[in-house]
Amino acid sequence: MNRFKSIVLAVAAALVATAYAVPAPTTSAASASLSIVPNKKYTIEPGRTINDKLTIRNLDAEQPLELTLRVVDFTFTDDGGTPKLLLDENEPQTTWSLKPYLNVPQTVSVPPRESQTVDMSVAMPQGIGGGSYYSAIVYSSGAPDGGNVGLSASGVTLAFVQVPGDVKEDLKLEKFGAYQQASGDNAGGYKYFNTNAPKSLAFTLKNSGNVVEAPVGSISLKHMFGREQIINDVNPNGSLALIGQSRTFVSCIKLKEQEVDFEGQQTQTKTCDDSGLWPGYYSAKLNLFYGQNGNRTQEINSDASFWYLPIWFILVLLALLSVVAFFIWRLVNKVQGKFGGPKVKKKSSRRR
Amino acid sequence: MLLAVFVFVVPAAADMRFQDRGLYMNSTEPGATTFYDVSFRYMSPQPVGSVDMLFCDDPIPYRPCVKPAGLDVSDATLTGQSGETGFTISNKSSNRIVLTRAPSMIGSGNSTYRLSGIKNPTDTNKSFSIRLRSHTSLNASGPQIDFGSVKGQVAQGIVLQTQVPPMLIFCMAEEVEYSCSGTNEEYYSDMGTLSPQSTLTAQSQMAVGTNASGGFAVTANGGPPSAGTNVINALGTPTASVPGTNQFGINLVDNTAPNVGFDPEGEYANAIAAEGYDVPDKYKYRSGDVVAYSSNVSLMKKFTVSYVLNSRADIKPGVYSTTITYIASGRF
Repeated sequence: MNRFKSIVLAVAAALVATAYAVPAPTTSAASASLSIVPNKKYTIEPGRTINDKLTIRNLDAEQPLELTLRVVDFTFTDDGGTPKLLLDENEPQTTWSLKPYLNVPQTVSVPPRESQTVDMSVAMPQGIGGGSYYSAIVYSSGAPDGGNVGLSASGVTLAFVQVPGDVKEDLKLEKFGAYQQASGDNAGGYKYFNTNAPKSLAFTLKNSGNVVEAPVGSISLKHMFGREQIINDVNPNGSLALIGQSRTFVSCIKLKEQEVDFEGQQTQTKTCDDSGLWPGYYSAKLNLFYGQNGNRTQEINSDASFWYLPIWFILVLLALLSVVAFFIWRLVNKVQGKFGGPKVKKKSSRRR
Repeated sequence: MLLAVFVFVVPAAADMRFQDRGLYMNSTEPGATTFYDVSFRYMSPQPVGSVDMLFCDDPIPYRPCVKPAGLDVSDATLTGQSGETGFTISNKSSNRIVLTRAPSMIGSGNSTYRLSGIKNPTDTNKSFSIRLRSHTSLNASGPQIDFGSVKGQVAQGIVLQTQVPPMLIFCMAEEVEYSCSGTNEEYYSDMGTLSPQSTLTAQSQMAVGTNASGGFAVTANGGPPSAGTNVINALGTPTASVPGTNQFGINLVDNTAPNVGFDPEGEYANAIAAEGYDVPDKYKYRSGDVVAYSSNVSLMKKFTVSYVLNSRADIKPGVYSTTITYIASGRF
């Protein structure tokens, strides 16, 4: 009996010792490689619910992906398309928040190299006003233990809901003209005088309505000698002006479309190619349309102009002008020499 | 004399734009057969005998008309009208409808025409337009009276298995594979002991790519390193590393002072380090800043983030640490 007791105690002691010896699992043994859908867009009538799926893929070959999900509001960072996530727990809810209506699970676990599909739903209450509602679903991997600099990875899905009905649509044109993209030390922006050939035109719209807008339309660009180019689709990516945002929509003068392979799928990408503009003065005409289904189609028209004068062109022009000036000077001298030039009478002073 | 010339030269009635134009699509499902309500207000005080409705990708009336993919109005019927009434369909094709009536003078107020049996376009990425023109003639020929366009768009159903879903791929660790298929599973860096004579450095990597047409943005979030209430200040603007001062900053390019980091790796040029984080030997850190982005589809690109940490001689002792959360999101 005593022997049995001692064996049991020894086994128990061994088990306890093992429990303490095995290091506690840390978040560093989890994956931080994920694939998610970047955005979701729905049209939902008041009183209706949409059930959908979120697919999350763990790209790590060895470690599981442990994610916590939460819904936060977002707005715009600047005049571009980067969302500003309102991550603080105490952040007040925005007027366009989808948080009260969007349901997602709190945690998701995805085994290595696998996908997990989770349910989500959006329930818009009866009587909710027409307009746009949007929030972001944040997928967070765990925070690490130790070190001076810990790393944590998160992905975000932007969710947009359009509620049909009478909406307030109000886009105002703030700027329109030639646009230089930022590169290196050169800040981007609208440029009237351009020494580098502009690759794009842009327009900035202020959205004072209660609905996100994706305007469509075209731009005609005319050179001083009559050569005309048309930009048929000024918003090929369907970019949005969020509520309250002054959004700059950049349109390539010459669009380069290319098929690329992304994760085994053919995808079309669009970039601005060299515009091939001639030096000189250009005028541009903008025709924009916007309006939600069942609401008025509204139109924005505007004109702009700009100069494209490359340095080489200015130097050639100066050289040509110098040559012309030189020949005029030579001609004037020749004429003066032939006809004796203007005769100036010497004034004689008389002494009294 | 000049005034007389001006009066005679300016036409008595130029064509005008229809006002209060609108389109209601009863269903916005791609390819669905539904009814459209087309509304507008006639403007020019002239008799109207026909209205031409041309369905095109482009709303601009003088441009060549490209028929929206999948749209078919050849079976459309006029099932309702208000305002200016008495119209019937006299002519139609797959993307054109002509309404006609005995020419009569217009009144005031909006007019609406319900066209049933229209098959929606199928391209959810593109809006379409109905170019409207009114004429005195019965068959939409001759000079136009008023003109204008209305815009519509079909919306994507919830699940379309035949389409490639947009995806955003993101991974982050001390070292990552270019394709995100693996990492070294190290998510923190012990940078060593602070000293006023030297700069502590570390680096981490992230790879990101998307097939979404709007591109992606990666922001860095979190405070600078701190020990209790003592904080090593982050560099608010791109600044060179100076040992002996309190500095914390990052960038995403190859540096020589100190020797840390790499330039972004990947052939595809769409994804770039953001302004302020793209200058060699200059470091910056502001929580919430975009550190890398692409404004379009971007194949996988690997970024190496370099960290520098400097301290003054009189820094309070302690373990200075922070957690930086990199958030990858789509753009809108």
